Amino acid sequence: MKKFLKLAVLLLVFQSCNSVKEYEKEKINDVDMKLSARASERYETSFQVYREAAAGANGGKSGGGCGCN
Amino acid sequence: MKKIVFALSLCSLISYSQVKKDTIVVFKKRVLETTEIDFLSSYYKQDGTHSSVGGGIGSEKLTNATANIVIAMPLNDDDVLTIDSGISAYTSASSSNINPFNASGASRGGEGDDDDRVAAVALATGPTGSPWQASSGASQSDVLAAINANYSHSSDDRNFIWNADVAFSNEYDYTSIGFGGGISKLFNDKNSEVSLKVNAYLDQWRPIYPTELSEFGKYGSGFQSNGYFAGVTVYNQSGAISSGYLPNTFTKWSAVGRNSYSASVGFSQVLTKKFQVSVFFDLLQQDGMLSTPYHRIYFADKPNYYIGNPASISNYENPSNSDVYLLADDIERLPNTRFKLPIGARLNYYLNETVVFRTYYRYYSDDWDIQAHTASIEIPVKVSDKFTIFPMYRYYTQLQSKYFAPFEQHLSTEKFYTSDFDLSTFNANQYGAGFTYTDIFTAAKIWKFGLKNIDFRFNHYERTDGLHADIATIAFKFVNQ
Repeated sequence: MKKFLKLAVLLLVFQSCNSVKEYEKEKINDVDMKLSARASERYETSFQVYREAAAGANGGKSGGGCGCN
Repeated sequence: MKKIVFALSLCSLISYSQVKKDTIVVFKKRVLETTEIDFLSSYYKQDGTHSSVGGGIGSEKLTNATANIVIAMPLNDDDVLTIDSGISAYTSASSSNINPFNASGASRGGEGDDDDRVAAVALATGPTGSPWQASSGASQSDVLAAINANYSHSSDDRNFIWNADVAFSNEYDYTSIGFGGGISKLFNDKNSEVSLKVNAYLDQWRPIYPTELSEFGKYGSGFQSNGYFAGVTVYNQSGAISSGYLPNTFTKWSAVGRNSYSASVGFSQVLTKKFQVSVFFDLLQQDGMLSTPYHRIYFADKPNYYIGNPASISNYENPSNSDVYLLADDIERLPNTRFKLPIGARLNYYLNETVVFRTYYRYYSDDWDIQAHTASIEIPVKVSDKFTIFPMYRYYTQLQSKYFAPFEQHLSTEKFYTSDFDLSTFNANQYGAGFTYTDIFTAAKIWKFGLKNIDFRFNHYERTDGLHADIATIAFKFVNQ
């Protein structure tokens, strides 16, 4: 929890000092730079939720379904 | 150090104030220009030697084929409706052994249970089974159908988004209904984003139990003279005929609901023209029937009883055993609540016009004493204007739940117990590769939809407990023209 708070504070500080303008975001807007899992990754995430105890914190589904086979 | 933090914080405040002055809405672009349709499909197969239906031993052979159609429709400049529907069909050796016996009991009796769906093959030698082979029980396969609808609205300046979603899924023994919503706020020239998402799933089991326990639950202590077990010979550990089997620890679940609630906070930040990061923090609470009703348990302090060939009892734990099955003492018992706390982060770096680094890390802990770390990296390499290939690697490690013990190591005096190796200590490596084909001019067409993108990926997965799996996925994106 403390680690997360430190990280959050650090990110807030980072964001303030470096504002990238829209016209400078050609590289940031590259499709491979998206800060989310690829749509085609959903089935891997699904079987990992079944076969591993950990879940969540990946922007995906975090409940529903038994996942018991 | 304090001075540095103060200076950086001051910098932050100044930046915020400047942002407010500088933000000017120049024009309003549609959130989604046109209808998009995604077709996704995957094939998954696995095998292993720690079936949870077999109490921690047995075949984990499983195949699963899945297909989804995702339709995203712009309702106007600001609103998008997305419908995601899919179907998933599996066959599982492990699940088939909910009823492991390849012939029904001498009575061919019992109603309303899974074993009634077994072909009544009259064998003079009586029923046999093995945790290492799939039985012909109906639970060897099932189909999951799911649908999810999501509605999102973006503000005129595109700096505020809210969404709401509903979800429904159903399979033979389980139904799930979910709903939720979220908000996202972008600021600092859209370099920063904070999001909050909440979801609730109200699920319902229709429990099926291992055949021997189901019959005990139905007939009580006289179950060996009634229903499925009437006339079936039961053997003890030394192979002698015995009537001593009495799984009186077993009771059926009376409350069969399972509720899951989640709250997720996300923060993302563009750090430089080539580097961005996001952090996710989830709180997940589950309550209700968190055990799986057909996961067998064998206690170390209870005598063993078998159905099948008594000559094979000494060979029970060997995969060559094909004709004897150990009768369960109970099903797994897990607490009715579970609190999960995952924290994750993504860091993406644009190295140059050819190479991007996509990385992910997650720390997870819960109140069943499981701790886990996940780390992954994917390196997309643009080989042409239209093709990108991406090798990937993922490492996962977890420490076991305090309720886990392997086959026949739990004691009947314990309150909670499971032999599900998904809750054991293990490491896992996953590696693979994929490619994407993108045609922004959508030259290939089907009716009035142009093919914009093809995405294919294949991964191999290995756990240190012996489970291994392969998964292949292909996705097509079409846009309306």
